[in-house]
Amino acid sequence: MSRKYRQWVKDYQDQAWTVARYILKDAEEAEDATQEAFVKLWDNRDNVDPDRVRAWLMKVTRNGCLDRLRRRRDNVEFDESYMAGEVSGPMQDAEATETGAWLKQAIAGLKEPYRSLVVLRDVNQHSYEEVAGMLELNLAQVKTYLHRARKQLRERLAEVRP
Amino acid sequence: MNEYDEKWEDRINALIDGELSPSDAELLKAQASDDRELARAIIEAYQLQQAMDAIRVERAPDSLRKRLRAIPRTHRSGPVFSLLQPRWAMALAAIPLVIITVSLMRPDTPSASEIAQARQDMALAFAYLDKAGVITGHQIEETVGQTMADAVTDSVNQAIKSQTLNSQEKET
Repeated sequence: MSRKYRQWVKDYQDQAWTVARYILKDAEEAEDATQEAFVKLWDNRDNVDPDRVRAWLMKVTRNGCLDRLRRRRDNVEFDESYMAGEVSGPMQDAEATETGAWLKQAIAGLKEPYRSLVVLRDVNQHSYEEVAGMLELNLAQVKTYLHRARKQLRERLAEVRP
Repeated sequence: MNEYDEKWEDRINALIDGELSPSDAELLKAQASDDRELARAIIEAYQLQQAMDAIRVERAPDSLRKRLRAIPRTHRSGPVFSLLQPRWAMALAAIPLVIITVSLMRPDTPSASEIAQARQDMALAFAYLDKAGVITGHQIEETVGQTMADAVTDSVNQAIKSQTLNSQEKET
C-alpha cells in the first residue's frame, strides 16, 4: 500500500501543488495545503477508488485551500506580487516569457470558481467530467463558468498585447 | 454576457477544446469571415490557448516532495495493527476486569471443612475484638477521667483567685 501511495505522490504531487499555488498565492501555505491533502489521501488510502484518486485528491486539495482562504478572509483578489520570482524549477523558463508570467497573474486574479476551473481544466488538463466531479457542478455549469473565465482572460490578454 | 456572446462562446470553446465536428468548425470559420467580432474572438481564443501551453503544471518544490514522501512514516493513523493504539490498549486493560467480574459472579458453595475453618476464624476474631474492646475502654476512662479532673481543678483554682482579688480590693 505504501508503494501505491508513493506512486500517487509521484503522479499527482505537481498537479496538487499547482492547484494550491494558484488558489492560495502563497508558496509556504500552498505546501502546507498540499501536504494536508496527501495526509488525507494516506489516511483514506483504503477507501478511495483507485481509478478516481486524481479527482479525489484535486477536490480535497482545492477544498482545503478554500478553507484556508476563508480563514484568512483574503477573498481571492488580484495580487500583483503573485509569483514574483518565487517559483523555482523548469517552469521558470515558461515564466520568463512575458505572456506566461502575465497569464499566471491573470489566472490568480480570477474569482472562484473561475480560477479553479481554469487551473483544473486548462493548466492541469483534467477532463470536463473530472472537473465537474471535483467542483460538484454539473457539466453544463462547468462549461458555462469556464467559458466566462476564458473570455475574461482573453479580453485581458488582448488589452496587454500590442 | 448577452445571448449572442453565450452562443458564440460555446462554439469557440468547443473549437478550442477540439469538440466541434469538422463540419461545424468549417461553418464557424465561414461565419467568422463575415463577422469581424467573431473572427477576433476566435483569434484571441487561440492566442490564449497558446499562452496556456506555456504555463503547464508546475513542479512541486523539493521541500514539499520530501514532506509528501515522509507521510507514511510520520502518519500511522491508518489501519495498521498495533497494540499501542488506544482501542487495543483499552481492550487489553479490560481483560483482567472481565476475569475478576466473572470470578466474583460465579456461584460458590463452600465445603464442610471450609465452613468449620471459617467458624474457627470468626471465634478467634471475636475473642480478639473483646480483648481489644476492654483495653480501649480502660484507656478512654483514664483519658477522660484525667481531662475531667483537670477541667474541675482549673476552674476551682480560678474561682478562688478571683474571690481573693475581690476581697483585697474591698479592703483597700
